[in-house]
Amino acid sequence: MGHRMKGERRFVVTMLAPIFLILICFYLYPTAFNFYNSLTDLSLLGLRRGGSFIGLGNYVKLLASADFYRVLWNTAIWLTAVSVALRVVLGFGVALLLNSETVRQYRLVTLSRLILLVPWATPPVVAVIVFRWLLDQRLGVVNRMLMGLGIIDLPIAFFGDVHWVWPSVITIIVWNTLPMVSLTFLAALQSLPEELIEAAKVDGATGAQRIRHIILPHLRPTIIVITLLSTFWTFNNFLYVWLTTGGGPGSYTNVIATDIYIKAFIEYHLGFSSAIGVFAALLMAAFALVYLRVVARREFQEIL
Amino acid sequence: MSSSRFQRGIGTLLVLAALGIVWAFMLYPAAWIFYSSLQTNEALFSGTFAGFTFANYIKIFNSGFRVFLFNSLVICTAAVLISTFVSVLAAYVFSRKQFRFRRLLFSSVLSGQLFPWIILVTPLFILFSRMGLLNSYPGIIFCYGAIAIPFSVYLLVGYLETIPHSLDEAARIDGATQYQVIWKIVFPIMLPGIVATTTYAFLLCWSEYLLALAFLSDEGMKTLPLGLYSFFGQDAADWGAIMAGSAVTTLPTLVLFLPLQRRLASGLAAGAVKQ
Repeated sequence: MGHRMKGERRFVVTMLAPIFLILICFYLYPTAFNFYNSLTDLSLLGLRRGGSFIGLGNYVKLLASADFYRVLWNTAIWLTAVSVALRVVLGFGVALLLNSETVRQYRLVTLSRLILLVPWATPPVVAVIVFRWLLDQRLGVVNRMLMGLGIIDLPIAFFGDVHWVWPSVITIIVWNTLPMVSLTFLAALQSLPEELIEAAKVDGATGAQRIRHIILPHLRPTIIVITLLSTFWTFNNFLYVWLTTGGGPGSYTNVIATDIYIKAFIEYHLGFSSAIGVFAALLMAAFALVYLRVVARREFQEIL
Repeated sequence: MSSSRFQRGIGTLLVLAALGIVWAFMLYPAAWIFYSSLQTNEALFSGTFAGFTFANYIKIFNSGFRVFLFNSLVICTAAVLISTFVSVLAAYVFSRKQFRFRRLLFSSVLSGQLFPWIILVTPLFILFSRMGLLNSYPGIIFCYGAIAIPFSVYLLVGYLETIPHSLDEAARIDGATQYQVIWKIVFPIMLPGIVATTTYAFLLCWSEYLLALAFLSDEGMKTLPLGLYSFFGQDAADWGAIMAGSAVTTLPTLVLFLPLQRRLASGLAAGAVKQ
């Protein structure tokens, strides 16, 4: 029996060794190294020499800088809250639309799913490129159309004008990610028993009442999961802001991820950049706790 | 009677109009990529239609795009093989074995799904530059392998949990070793789950941009998304070629995505509904 136990343990260790070797090398060690760097004045130009230890200097500087709070605000409100809210609300609307009697009656559900698949499968880099062209100040189709219709007299600098830059960036994010949200809601709607809706209709419930008392409660867990996952994934996103505005005009659209990159690779302050990274890592730890409690535990009841 | 029919007609029209708007918003940008990739720049800017041409595709393949495509294929394939292999081993143990720290270890792998890759950029850049791994296949391959692991384990364990434990336990009693059970029983049963996982991991690596940007600066090492964007930055006037490059980057993901999306969407919804 003791032999068997020993063999069992050896088996588990052997099977888990490769994955944890990779995770330690590429997640744990870099995170620890990042923390160490955040306590130094390491510069990109003096990589070989290394930085000297300056204690919490970078953190003091970080917390005292007004720029950092602006970056936090941009990340939390513009990049995340607005874009997630839009995706969830529009995604719910699109799912209701695709599940409506009319769309089903005309057999347009499958075709609509296929159409939604296209933006979902489009790599974010490509999404940014095509929107930068569509919204281009000089050559963009959107500006030409708006001017042709006489709605505007001068072309709009969608990525340069502070009134338009966030709405433009968010449009790209919504285009790229709305299908995932919509199709997940649609899958949840399709699992709703038909009889429930029919019974409610017989009882004379209006459309709004059916949504409020039957559909929303049924979709609640899905909405919670999607909102949480979208929030976590968007919060640290680098690509959409970096490739559209580079954090500009000025630092108007700078977010945490682009700030870390700019501080390290444009301004060469690796130590300071690492301090922002530690901040992002702490936030992620908080996200992970919520994720494990609310999302993962539901899916893996046997294990967690 | 006729007024209620009239109302219903209006309702149908409104629903179809809303559907049309959704379709247009979703399709227009993507259709624009494929349409303009088949046009000459002159036709694009004059707004006239002069038939379709493959000239843009020929042009980009002669100007280094082949290299980006090759790099992307090599890096993503190798990374996916690594991540799937180690994830399958781990997923089996997480799903089937009781051991100390199982909850802790499984939770930490799952949390990796939320890990902000931007945090890895600075420390890995320093380590890679000291080890000579910048602009090298092994560096970026293991990096991509690492970022694909958490979601792969998540999908694989989810799949394994739907397969009755009795199957592999029966084989175990028949006297097969644990490794034989995995290879001969579990692996074949898991195959559909493994296919979905590799596809997803491949797509994740295929469209990754940030780590490639930080670790690959040599023109000859760039992946498709990176090469495409630098092409866009250099020569912003050659839209036909840029759109051809975009089409080449998007097509494989579209093809791979078709069989996968239903499982992903219903998986997310089902996981959420479970009590």
